[in-house]
Order: sequence, then structure tokens, then C-alpha cells
Amino acid sequence: MTGTADAADPVAATVAAIRCWSGITLPGEMARHALRDLEAMRRGLAALHGTLAFEDEPSGFELALHDLKEQP
Amino acid sequence: MTDALPAGGDLAALSLTEAAAAVAAGEATATDLVRACLARIDAHDGAVNALIRLDRDEALQAAAAADQARAAGAPLGPLHGVPLAQKDMYYRAGRVSSCGSAIRREFAPAVTATVIGRLDAAGSIDLGTLNMAEFAFNPTGHNHHRGDCHNPWDLARCTGGSSSGSGAGVAARFFYGALGSDTGGSIRLPATMCGVTGIKPTQTRVSRFGVMPLSFTCDNVGPLARTARDCARLLGVIAGHDPKDPTSAREPVPDYEAALDGDLRGQRVAVVDWFLEGAEPAILHVFERALQVLRDRGAEVHRLDAPVLDAVATYGGVISRVEAATIHAEWMRGRVAEYAPHFVGRLYPGYAIPAHAYVEALSRRGPVLREFVAQAMGHADLVAVPTLRAHVPTLAETDLETDFAAHWDRHMALTANTRPFNYLGLPAASIPIGFDDNGVPVGLTLAARPFAEARVLRAADAYQRDTDWHRRMPTAVA
Repeated sequence: MTGTADAADPVAATVAAIRCWSGITLPGEMARHALRDLEAMRRGLAALHGTLAFEDEPSGFELALHDLKEQP
Repeated sequence: MTDALPAGGDLAALSLTEAAAAVAAGEATATDLVRACLARIDAHDGAVNALIRLDRDEALQAAAAADQARAAGAPLGPLHGVPLAQKDMYYRAGRVSSCGSAIRREFAPAVTATVIGRLDAAGSIDLGTLNMAEFAFNPTGHNHHRGDCHNPWDLARCTGGSSSGSGAGVAARFFYGALGSDTGGSIRLPATMCGVTGIKPTQTRVSRFGVMPLSFTCDNVGPLARTARDCARLLGVIAGHDPKDPTSAREPVPDYEAALDGDLRGQRVAVVDWFLEGAEPAILHVFERALQVLRDRGAEVHRLDAPVLDAVATYGGVISRVEAATIHAEWMRGRVAEYAPHFVGRLYPGYAIPAHAYVEALSRRGPVLREFVAQAMGHADLVAVPTLRAHVPTLAETDLETDFAAHWDRHMALTANTRPFNYLGLPAASIPIGFDDNGVPVGLTLAARPFAEARVLRAADAYQRDTDWHRRMPTAVA
């Protein structure tokens, strides 16, 4: 894939990347349409750049659940 | 109004806790209850399609045994003799659990889910298994393989999903309660659309051993029933640590029913503007009326905003899509034709999300939860949310297989106010608060801090003491 090809048809590039990494081929036009919805997710993630802290890790969630429970 | 539901001689009209009390007091037998439920199923499930499997003879035999046990003076569990039915993804050893799919049409697990074992031990009667979205991956109630489930208030409209048969069957008085599962709203959506009560507990509150996975970090097990008191009874039975599910919390399980005192004085309820964006005026009208009921009980309601919810929505979508895609990857490579076309259409984008985005979503979950609690619950005990921002759509309006592009946005919008609580891991219950312009139920979500299910249920019960929406019989199956 080239940067130029990606820009010209990002959906085709994504389909190719999924096939390459997952071995899963495009299962139909519904899937192609749903791929376009990822653009909103990509924008959402871009808006969150700058919030991930160096020490953040998944186990912090269980700790937060217990820290934030109501105190008797 | 009193807590008692008018029975009118119709045992199926009792709430779950009333039915249990009737059996315990000898005012009805378990056999009576099962027969009342079977009569409702025989009369109306042809139209609703809530059940996948009905174990009629086994249920009657179990009821007879329950009646004999009571007559012999055996100790009675909190659900003794009460008919339930479960979403077809709760494993019972040796019984087919299709998960609403074709791929698992013959799948008979070797294990029994911990929650099923706990309901059995509490004395409940298992009527059978319930319709659901294929692999619990759909918020509407469509099922390509088993037939769509239909809303008992309007058979043309969605039941909500993925626990479609659970919501529709409880509403139609086919049984007194049911388990649902909730990864993005799959308990709360059927509860609101079908006019019943449902609670998604705190993440880790209930064991998921023996339960079909969809998203291992956001899946939750919880009950749907007619009242908050019913849900308190069921949650009290199923909650608590399970050595077979190492992710289940070791937090003690409180007596949820003991918390239902009707007292909301001093309770601070936050209404977060983010959840009201784009909401239909008719929904807002019903929502505001419900808030007034809470105020009349002594609650203090105030509005605020929680900007972190944009991050919650984005990260929540990342996690659920990636995990579902991963779980189904082997079948997507080898058995894709056995899925419904709309299922693979919705699942496929999950394979395109970068691994670093997924890890970021997991890593930010704790800090984002802290931010949300600070923004929304710093000065509030509860958050109140309209469960849906729009009226309940028809099955045709959300059928992705007839027009994927046209129906996609409506489909995705259904979970806007439910999915955030899965990423946040907070307990959230939906209760019926009225009807939309089409005469289909509207729901109110009440959420609270981690492990504060008792507070949520207390508020829901207090609301139901002053209203009768939860008592209404669905018009299409009256």
C-alpha cells in the first residue's frame, strides 16, 4: 500500500489491511458501508490525543471501581 | 399507591416477589404459577416470538416437586416455585444454547452457568430459553435465524436487544423474570422498549462463568422483571464472587430488598446535558415528568454537564468492537456464511481498529471513570438519563438487511445513552415512565457509583410506589 493509494481509496486500503492481518475477506457491501463509520471513531480518538498518561494501564479500571464506591 | 399489584385472579399478573410470596404462604402453588405462564405463552407467543425453547413437561415436573417440598416443610428459597426463563446464552450442561445463532444451533455446553445454578438453588422453575440477537450483537430485536422478536405493545416495533425475548416475555407475562446480558445496553434497551424494569450491575458484580462472551471487559449479567423489587430479589440471588470467574468482585452483597424504603429525601439527582442532546420533545416531556415524581419524593434534581462523556463514547465503541471481532475471528474466517449478513456487516469494522487504540481505550478507562464521577457525581448520588433519546422504532425502520445505509444511523443511535455506562462500569437500571407518541413505553435510566445497586434500586422502587407504568398490560397481548 502506498500513501497515495490510501488517500485515494481509504476503504479499499482498510479492506486490504484486514485481509492481510486477520485473514478475513470483505463479507459484503454492508461491511463496506460500516467501515465508513470508523471515520467518526478516528476523529474521536484524534480529539483525545494528549490525554493518555505514561503510567496508564488497563488494571487502573478495577482500582478505580473500588476507590470510587460509596463509603458507608 | 401500595406496592401490591392487583392480581384480579390472574396469577400471571403478579409481580415476581408477589408470586414468590403467594407460594410461600400457600395461596398459590408452583404448579398454578407454571400453568398460568404456559397459558399466556400458548395464547400470545405465536405473535411475540419470545421463546426459543419451551420445556413444558420439565417445568410442570419441577413445579410439582417444589409443591411437594413445601408441603413437606422443606426450607424455601427466595424464588421457590417462581417460573423464570433465560436468554439463550446461559449455559445449562447438556441443554442446547444456540446464542440466537445458526453456528451454535446444536451447541450443548458441558457446564452450567454459575448464575443459573444460583437461580436453581433459590428454587426457581426454568421454563426454557429465550430469543435474543444473534450472539447478543444487536440493539433492536431482529434475529435472522430464529425470527424477529416483537414488542408486546406494538408488534411492528422493536423489542430492543439483545435480550429481546427477556424484555418481551416479561412484559407479556410469560414468566416473572429473566436474565439478560448487557454489553452496550442489552438489558436496559429491552426494558425500556417493552416497559419493564432491568438493571445492569456494576462491572464484576455478577459472575459471567458459563455465559456466552461478547466483550469480556464490558459484558454484564443482570435481571429483567416487572418491578425494582423483583430485580432486587433476583440480583440478590445472582450477585457475588464466583471462584469460577476470577474477574468477579469480592465485594459483599448487600440486602437489596432491605434498601427499598421509598425514602428519597436528600438524594441528589444529576441530569447530564450530554444525554439530552437531540432528544425528541415527547421523550423530554415524559422524562421531565418522571423527574418531578422523584422531586415529590424528596429528591433534589439539578442539571450539569460532563464533557468527559465524549471520551467515554469513543473509547467504549473501540473496546466493544475490537473484542467482539476478536471473539468471532475464527468463525469469520471459516463459517462466515452462517452468520446473518447484518451481523458480519456490523462486526467487520472491528478488525480495522488499531491495537494501540484498543489498549489506549482500556488504559484510559480508570482515569475516565474517575473524571466522570468527579464531573457528574461529585455533588450527586444518582444520574438520571432518558434510556432512549427517540421513540421506539419499528422493526422495518431498523432492518439493516433491507437497507443498511438508510437504517444504519438509527441503529447506532439506539445505544447512545446506554453504552457509556458499560465503559464506565457503573450500575444502571431502566424503569418505565410513560409512553411515547405511538403508545410504546419510555424508560428512565438511574445510575450511581460503583457497587451502589442498592441506591439505584431504592430510587427506582420509590418511583414505582407513586406510578403505575410498570403495572400496565401490553396492549397487543392483553
